[in-house]
Amino acid sequence: MVADRTLVPLSETVTVRQTVGYAVQSGLEDADSLEVHLVVALPYDAEVPEGKQQVEEAKQLLSKARRWVTEDAGSADVTVETAVLGTERYLFGPRDYADIFEEYTDDHDLDRVVLDPEYHPGVTSSILQPLEHELESAGIPYDEAAVERPARHERLVGEGTERFDRYFALFWISFGFYLVLGDPTYWFDLVTGVAVAGIVSFSLANVTFSFPLHRIGSPVRTIRFAFYVPYLIWEIVKANVAISFVILRPSMPIEPVVTRVNARVRSGLPLLALANSITLTPGTLTVRANDQRLIVHTLIPSAREDLFDGALERAVRFVFHGRTSARIPSPRERGDAEIVGGDEL
Amino acid sequence: MIEAARFWAIVVLVVAGLFFTFVSAVGVIRLPDIYARAHTASQTDTLGAGLALAAVALALGWQQASVYTVLLLFFVFITNPTAAHAIARSAAETGIEPVTADSAADGDTREPSTASTDRNSSDDDGGSDVDGGETA
Repeated sequence: MVADRTLVPLSETVTVRQTVGYAVQSGLEDADSLEVHLVVALPYDAEVPEGKQQVEEAKQLLSKARRWVTEDAGSADVTVETAVLGTERYLFGPRDYADIFEEYTDDHDLDRVVLDPEYHPGVTSSILQPLEHELESAGIPYDEAAVERPARHERLVGEGTERFDRYFALFWISFGFYLVLGDPTYWFDLVTGVAVAGIVSFSLANVTFSFPLHRIGSPVRTIRFAFYVPYLIWEIVKANVAISFVILRPSMPIEPVVTRVNARVRSGLPLLALANSITLTPGTLTVRANDQRLIVHTLIPSAREDLFDGALERAVRFVFHGRTSARIPSPRERGDAEIVGGDEL
Repeated sequence: MIEAARFWAIVVLVVAGLFFTFVSAVGVIRLPDIYARAHTASQTDTLGAGLALAAVALALGWQQASVYTVLLLFFVFITNPTAAHAIARSAAETGIEPVTADSAADGDTREPSTASTDRNSSDDDGGSDVDGGETA
């Protein structure tokens, strides 16, 4: 009988141990020998600061999983290969993960993929198709590992303190906003404010924050954002003046060009902040955001140069990750910026 | 003295806001296609409305209503890029090809391809050829 060749993507989940066990067991059921490829796909580039730590963690997980496989295989003929994928690119949505798995299965001529049911790589949002769907459309046969897992009662609700943090944060945000609109010195507004903020935080806290809050990190981010706003306004003023000169000149020396910039900011709020800042600055306009690949229409050469220098990107990284991670090469230096034709849209 | 300074600051802000709104209107007329026009349309929202609202806040002085103008500005800054992006994206999805530096040279050959997809866009492109003639 032919050997079964299986790909098992791993991540630190509660069911990762059982998934490895299932892959070995089910593989050996219908074949004499088994070749298991254990892989960890990393969302970040290995070069950025947060990437190095992830590579370390991935390697530890892989060596653990390798021991599990030999443990489960017993005397059967099982070969194990391990790999860390995605170190040279920026994985974002399930589609990127499906692509990278497809590439790997093609390269190594693998038959099937065993998925951990708890494996949710990258960003999962209701807008994006889940990994299973993406694998199906890529034509890769996959198998969901039969595992026993603790039932999850409420998906969106976190653990005790985390939940409290959300209610707490949203309560004070909405209370503050209410008092800005009302009168902070009038007792009636204070009382109704508490009531309204209570209702808002109770009903919407789980929807508002799609990510866990950090008790120090989140306020610090807010303060850094306060520094970012004047900088953004200054950039907007500069760009407005530059565009106004170009428009008012009789010869109108515009040079419209469609460019692609691979932004190195996390998806969600950081990406939204960057894409919106790019659009707010006249001269650059985000036409599409295919995950991290931003298609930006630029109107004048100076705006394009600014975009390729990545000042806004660094500022957004500063807001969300601090000063050290703001020191990254510009999109031009790392080859993430290019001019593309209009048909790329 | 301070009143006079405030008066002139308000005048300067309003005039500057008017200037950028005017530039934006000129840009919408002069620029060749929908993508380029989206750039300049956002000028009205950012600096045009921004400076006018700053003038309003200054004119109202230190009271509750001037806080509202700052809030207004904040919301404009959130909604403006969203709207600009939505317009550009829907244009891209309708298949309108942007006029680029390369294609501006052979502007007349471009027209048949876009004319079928969107009547408005072909009208816009008609205007661009006139402008393109000026630049060439």
